[in-house]
Amino acid sequence: MKILIIEDERGLRESIEEYFTEAGNVCETASGFAEAISKVNMYRYDCILLDITLPGGTGIDILKNIKENNYPDGVLILSAKNSLDDRLEGLDLGADDYLVKPFHLSELRARVMAIIRRKTFSGNNLLIFNEITIDLLAKSIKINNQLVRLTRKEYALLLYFIANKGKVVSKNAIAEHLWGDGIDMANNFDFIYSHIKNLRKKLMEAGSHDYIQAAYGMGYKFTDQ
Amino acid sequence: MKLLARYNRVTLITTIVVMLVTGVIYYFAIHLILINDVDKDLEVEENEIFEYARQNNSLPQVFESNDQQISFFDATPGSVQRHYLDTLYKTEPGSGRRRHHHHEHYESGRGLITYVTAGGKYHGVLIVKSTVETEDLVKIIFIITIAVILLLLLTLFVTNRLLLTRLWQPFHNLLKELRLFNVADTKEIPELDTTIDEFKELNQAVVSMSSRVKSDYKDLKTFTENASHELLTPIAVINSKLDTLLQTDNFSQQQSKLLNDLYTAVSKLTRLNQSLLLLVKIENHLVEGNVTINLRAVIDELIIQFEEIFLDKQLKVSCDLKDKEVTANPYLIDVLLNNLLSNAIRHNNTGGEIKIRLTIEQLSIKNTGENEAIQKDHLFKRFQKSSSSEGSGLGLTISREICENLGFSLVYDFADNYHIFTVKFNS
Repeated sequence: MKILIIEDERGLRESIEEYFTEAGNVCETASGFAEAISKVNMYRYDCILLDITLPGGTGIDILKNIKENNYPDGVLILSAKNSLDDRLEGLDLGADDYLVKPFHLSELRARVMAIIRRKTFSGNNLLIFNEITIDLLAKSIKINNQLVRLTRKEYALLLYFIANKGKVVSKNAIAEHLWGDGIDMANNFDFIYSHIKNLRKKLMEAGSHDYIQAAYGMGYKFTDQ
Repeated sequence: MKLLARYNRVTLITTIVVMLVTGVIYYFAIHLILINDVDKDLEVEENEIFEYARQNNSLPQVFESNDQQISFFDATPGSVQRHYLDTLYKTEPGSGRRRHHHHEHYESGRGLITYVTAGGKYHGVLIVKSTVETEDLVKIIFIITIAVILLLLLTLFVTNRLLLTRLWQPFHNLLKELRLFNVADTKEIPELDTTIDEFKELNQAVVSMSSRVKSDYKDLKTFTENASHELLTPIAVINSKLDTLLQTDNFSQQQSKLLNDLYTAVSKLTRLNQSLLLLVKIENHLVEGNVTINLRAVIDELIIQFEEIFLDKQLKVSCDLKDKEVTANPYLIDVLLNNLLSNAIRHNNTGGEIKIRLTIEQLSIKNTGENEAIQKDHLFKRFQKSSSSEGSGLGLTISREICENLGFSLVYDFADNYHIFTVKFNS
């Protein structure tokens, strides 16, 4: 997949680029308005990560430009502005999603994957990872054609892991993804552990490989290697 | 004490005292003038007697005229001192103007004792005039004066009342505006419609003060907002760098611990910052996009969301929910309920209880915890939190702001060892 990262903050841009760069992915970056506009108008991307506040212009204008030219690119807005301000404007203008800074890279990746899946949907609503087949519309999971019953959160967790396969995902990121802001009351993430234990157990009982690895007590890694 | 009452008291007392003093002076002055008058009449009479005695060398005949009696008496020469005196005037029954009097009686009178020599004999003379009419006149004047005083007092009282109420109207208008003054509001205090200089000045002072306060407040707000915004990017960088760091090689146990602590601190910083931004937003009434929300559905959803955390803390949650629709921004409702429920969980004991009750009038969330009421005064203040709390200290402030923004009220109570937070929809 091909991704354009429009972000003026060097540290953040590089982190995102590094996180998304892997075999089969192409990441391009733009740090200013002019550079971004020219890249947007020259190439097509599966997903554009768009910062709102840029030197030389605003991301909203880039979004307008994309929509006026009917470019099919998925757009995910990254903004330091409070979610309440630009969210409506951005989404009204046709952005696919909206993420407020600061965010976890794993969360960003899960959102980008979801956008790309929707964009390249074309009648195929199945997400396949080795022997695991996920029906994104029915929200059901089959392993070796065998239906596996997962709770809502286990399902969300599995999708999150697959979107971030091969990466170490921190417990914080998982907790915030599953429980949102309500998580700040729980400083020990024991309940995440039991959640992951259950998911792992269900998958393995249905005949899947053991893909979930604990990573140094800080997080988990979903990998088939 | 009201200004009117105070003013009335002062003016009325002054008026009464002045009126009484002038009344008394008036009374004596008139009395003196009239007595003087009578004395002159007496002197005229005396002169007539002298004239008569000189021409005829005999005493005039004594006859009774209206209100005047003359009597002569023998006296040794030189024994009579000429002088005026207050005396009594004896009326004959059926005589004079008071014909209804059937027996003799005395009226007040004024007399002159003098002496005359007639026919070689020395006579004392007593001329008495009735002063009843004079007294009557004085009385009438006095009554009229009193009546005028009373009328004046009444008029003063009424005009004071009307005038002061009207005069002070601009002041009361201004007071009303001041009471409604809200530093976060965009509404300005209007110019007063008055011609009174003092009120104009007061109004100008108030208007300039309020706009100064508002602009200071706005500056502070803008500063908070800008500072929070500026913080977001560095926090985002730290966060992403941590995520990136996590992808590098194996970590020792010590390094993992350090990373974990960093993660926790950064997420706390993030939440704190976002809370500040949200607070500024709500206080500025910048949150729009109201839709109709069924609170019951939101609470049901939230309880599912928190399920694992309830289990983790072994909390017993019981709900009694009725359908209740409110019109509000869904994000704010989410934050409000999330905050209240988070508090109920965070400050609970392991194995404790949470009771949620939603009716048409109110939503109450009860939870067990410390068996001691929280100090109410500081509860909703910023950064007020118990020593054991892991929260940002902004949760309740935000909750209250949201409630006020929606026209609800948020109150805390402690009863039967339950901490109760109640959102009243019709505050």
